[in-house]
Amino acid sequence: MSSAIHVEGVSKLYSTSDGGAAWALQGASLSLRRGEFLCAIGPSGCGKTTLLNVMAGFFEPTQGSVRVDDTPVTGPGPDRGVVFQEYALFPWLTARKNVEFGLSVQGVSSEERKRLSLEYLDLVGLARAADRYPHELSGGMRQRVAVARALVNKPDFLLMDEPFAAVDSLTRASLQHELVRMWKELGIGIFMITHNIEEAVYLAERVVIMTPHPGRIQEVVAVDLPYPRNRASNEFGLTYARVSEAFHGNVEQQVA
Amino acid sequence: MERVLQAVPDQAASDAIKSDFIARVRKQRFSDKCRQIALNVLGVIIFLVLWELSPYLVPGLDDLLFPPPSDVVVIVRDMILSGELLKHTYVSVLRAIAGFIAGSVLGVLLGVLMGRLESLNHLLDPVLQAFRSIPAIAFVPLAIIWFGLGEASKVFLIAFGAFFPVWINTMVGVKSIPVIYARSAASLGARPDQIMFRVVLPAATPFIIAGLRLATAVALVVLVAAELVGASSGLGYLISYSHLVFRVDIMFVGLITLGVLGFLTDRLFLLVMSRLFPWYGIESGR
Repeated sequence: MSSAIHVEGVSKLYSTSDGGAAWALQGASLSLRRGEFLCAIGPSGCGKTTLLNVMAGFFEPTQGSVRVDDTPVTGPGPDRGVVFQEYALFPWLTARKNVEFGLSVQGVSSEERKRLSLEYLDLVGLARAADRYPHELSGGMRQRVAVARALVNKPDFLLMDEPFAAVDSLTRASLQHELVRMWKELGIGIFMITHNIEEAVYLAERVVIMTPHPGRIQEVVAVDLPYPRNRASNEFGLTYARVSEAFHGNVEQQVA
Repeated sequence: MERVLQAVPDQAASDAIKSDFIARVRKQRFSDKCRQIALNVLGVIIFLVLWELSPYLVPGLDDLLFPPPSDVVVIVRDMILSGELLKHTYVSVLRAIAGFIAGSVLGVLLGVLMGRLESLNHLLDPVLQAFRSIPAIAFVPLAIIWFGLGEASKVFLIAFGAFFPVWINTMVGVKSIPVIYARSAASLGARPDQIMFRVVLPAATPFIIAGLRLATAVALVVLVAAELVGASSGLGYLISYSHLVFRVDIMFVGLITLGVLGFLTDRLFLLVMSRLFPWYGIESGR
């Protein structure tokens, strides 16, 4: 079992359409420990998705290193589950078969697959929709299945790229609540990208604030509030204000 | 804070209204369906009546050049009873299926490989594109010289014609798959070969199906073209033969059979596809 993903001095250059190159991310360092919940927040172009992609192993950084404990990351793997914004479920498979996919490619027997997939669909509250196809599910249900599909592999870490961005706000609130419950229950490390300050403050132990041009990590704000968090509490409001300030102070700097 | 609570609706009453509603919707759907079928049948009947009456409606129309349905029906009956029609249809269908399968298997295979492997794509694309721009029918004489008048030349020509739409569609489909499908699969532990067969291939099926459907139509065209020129059986041969002996009524039988065959093929195709791929909402074009 791995204990942390370490990102050290990671930079990523992209080639632009005019033949030049641009920094998507520069000098980012971060550790995601098992059992920890991190949210990264920032405007578009701040490199937050690039950061997630190098942690997942979808591509290599131009500079710097990504390690899981002492092992360099050379590609994606089932130890780091990924949940995308939307449309990442396989539309040709039912919810259950989607959840079984990872087990199936790793050669788990079909009875075991069935047992585990139902167990994890139950964990996300969707056992009743096991035999439905993604196009028959609502946006919120699809993301629950996507979470179950990642978790059934028993990953040490879960990387989430704006998973609830396309979900209505009432559903989002209940998904956030359940995500906290699952995180506590499973003890995994979660790194989640969001563009929603409230979401970051509700979920994260540490909020990673990122800025664009070039994309970099500006600061990491610790959120010292007990779970489950109460959005109506004074402390929540104060923390929201602090993150918002860090975030907007930076935007004003940019303009000035 | 003022709160206004509204009464909970009566369960039994709303259930009754609901079942009544369902019954009415069902009845409406059923009568819509009946109406549709009645109009379909009526359209066919009007067509047949106009055709039957055409010698009276259009002065100088010759029975021999434009046989009415009542004559054609007699010929159809005779040809069914003698087994002749079934024989020609059977031969044609077998040729079409053999050529279609050969062409589409090759098309899917090359389409997937070329869609995934860029070097292979660059290597094969110019030559295949050049061949694609030659109509398959233009190869009929060459196929007869190479493979003779037997089955091989027909199957080759149909396979050649069916290959291109399947190949092109598969390749476009494979290239247009969202990158997050492959990424999801890889982060779930899938190897490249597993991604190819368990993700890329199924993700491209809507495109492949569209290509296959085009290929069924092309197969029929090439089949008839090949049979018109050099064959001793088949529906194309039947039409060509009736031309030689100046029997327009037999020619009509051939044409009608081809029409029915094409229509049934498309319907059967959609039926099979919706059974095989229930997740893919196929438009039946109705």
